[in-house]
Amino acid sequence: MDALVTNNVTKRYRIGIGRARVREMTPPPLDRFFAKLLPKWWTKDTFNALEDVTLSLEKGSSLGIVGHNGAGKTTFLKVVAGVTAPTNGSVKVNGRVAALIDVGVGLHPELTGTENAYLFGAMQGFNTHAMDAYIERIVEFAEIPDLADTPLKRYSAGMVTRIAFATVAALEADVLLIDEVLAVGDAQFQRKCAAWLADYRKRGGSLVFVSHNLGLVRSMTEHAVWLDHGKVVTQGPTPELLTEYGKAMEHREEGLKSGGAKKLVKAAGSKNRWGIGGARLLSVHVDQDALDAESVDVQIAYEGSGELTSAVFRVGFIDETGRELGGAVSPNLPVEIEGGQVTCAMPLPLRTGIYFPVVSIITADGQVRDHWRLDRPVVVERNDGLGEALGPVEFGGTWAGSRNGSHA
Amino acid sequence: MFRQLWRYRSLTMTMVKRQYQLRYRQSLVGFAWAIFPPIASLLVATLVFHKVIGVESGTNVSYPLFALAGLAPWTFFTSAVSSGVPSVVGSIQLVTRFSFPRAVLPISFMGTALIDLALTAGIFVAYVLVTRVGIPLTALQFPLLLGIEMVLATGIILLGSALNTFARDIRLAVPILMQLWLFLTPVMYPLSIVSHSLRPYFLANPMTGVIENFRNILVYGKPLDWSLLTPSVVAALALLIVGTWYFGAVEDRFADVI
Repeated sequence: MDALVTNNVTKRYRIGIGRARVREMTPPPLDRFFAKLLPKWWTKDTFNALEDVTLSLEKGSSLGIVGHNGAGKTTFLKVVAGVTAPTNGSVKVNGRVAALIDVGVGLHPELTGTENAYLFGAMQGFNTHAMDAYIERIVEFAEIPDLADTPLKRYSAGMVTRIAFATVAALEADVLLIDEVLAVGDAQFQRKCAAWLADYRKRGGSLVFVSHNLGLVRSMTEHAVWLDHGKVVTQGPTPELLTEYGKAMEHREEGLKSGGAKKLVKAAGSKNRWGIGGARLLSVHVDQDALDAESVDVQIAYEGSGELTSAVFRVGFIDETGRELGGAVSPNLPVEIEGGQVTCAMPLPLRTGIYFPVVSIITADGQVRDHWRLDRPVVVERNDGLGEALGPVEFGGTWAGSRNGSHA
Repeated sequence: MFRQLWRYRSLTMTMVKRQYQLRYRQSLVGFAWAIFPPIASLLVATLVFHKVIGVESGTNVSYPLFALAGLAPWTFFTSAVSSGVPSVVGSIQLVTRFSFPRAVLPISFMGTALIDLALTAGIFVAYVLVTRVGIPLTALQFPLLLGIEMVLATGIILLGSALNTFARDIRLAVPILMQLWLFLTPVMYPLSIVSHSLRPYFLANPMTGVIENFRNILVYGKPLDWSLLTPSVVAALALLIVGTWYFGAVEDRFADVI
């Protein structure tokens, strides 16, 4: 059975505060009349936050939504949650839907934590009496002392998120919509939420999960959809979709860079890109044949400056938490003034997970000339059924077994 | 819409409770603040209108009692309207994140205004007991008259809060309009002192019939004067129909424009 079905959902917003407001406040059927009478004026300054989004979610399964800022992810959740009506198309939800959208600010800053929980419950149709039964569990899950007598404004965004998630967890809807919520909390609470969500899905709950954190999307969802400018680019099993999404990000990152040298100077010094210069990475392409590939081909294009004649190139991988897992270091290679390419065929001894490439150019004196942490993920799926608790790196090894008492 | 509101009545009750709690939170005197506004306006009316300007009740009823019987229903009306109109915009956190009948927001402010009215009524009863004038039997018509006033206020706040979501001008205009309305309604003076040439305009004001009748039933012991009340009933029903229709027609868009 489907928990959620959307059919050609389109959501059109009006931009601006002048004319747009006049058009918005015109009630039906007058608005239809004006739309026919002055079609040009009526559709001016509009944009489609969602366009013909058709997808479905089976009961007990989970759907991740990825896309750049402004792709329509949050709008989609709002339409499904019934916060806003679609301009066209239909949404069908089986059962009660609960949404955690932008909860970092809470419901009311002057109300205490428990009062916010009660209000949240009231919004979901639970009266005060019904909420009394849940409040203990909420306080316990949120792990915040003084929940009952401190106004929300005195809490950090992370604590407010805890309260919101704890409330949703206690009330347990049939379809749960989560938008960037887990990104706010600390790692320990994040794990707690992830564990709860896994349980929730085993009990038959359905989940729609939106995050910029592709690692979370990978671990939380089986299927994913990629939205761009309100349209579905593609949908499918999460690992494959993330790989495809990653390839598109690679093009995007290249596009950013060819924007000119000045742009890069600005980018240098950021968390993802730094170095003292002298040679510069232009593009990095990771060629991965399949999700369970044992090796990858990495192609690096760089730009020289005449300052360097040789350097060491390195391709490494980090996991979703930013932890370095190791990589491959080249011997000293000549650096061409007019720029050039370096390729590396390297083994990929990684277990199931999501990883991000890190590429650097380093001179023999240890100076990092350019260091680039790419946003595009490399998704690895090993079909050994052993899960992810065994660490990210696979050493391999040649194994042999023998029986006691026999002479090998 | 009203069926939906009934289904969400516990939410409305929660909202009323929260608003009431919030109003006096972090204040030292707290709940006591609720009785100050009616007492203050009663003092101002008695001091300025009665003592300085020399307005009389026009009957053998003392001026303070006369004024209180008009100020109580007026304060209810004005507090419901001026808190109800900005209510949807004021709950932006809820409107942009949850799906619930938006009418809960303005309607819940009717609830808070009713609690205030109950307190003012307490003052009225206390005054009557202390001065030993007694309350006439016609006061039993109070719920009916209050009902008409509530319908009038509901229509206004449904229309006003919906319009205010699109154009914040409404909220800015409300205090000015309410002040003008107060002076144009026989609240602190009797209708009898209004000249005959102006009388028709005053009678067309839907609040004139409401206030005058509150005095009739609470102080003078006269039953409801339906000819005086006709404009009020007509305006109340018309505004309720228009307000309900407009609110229902555009409430889907609140989350987009707020």
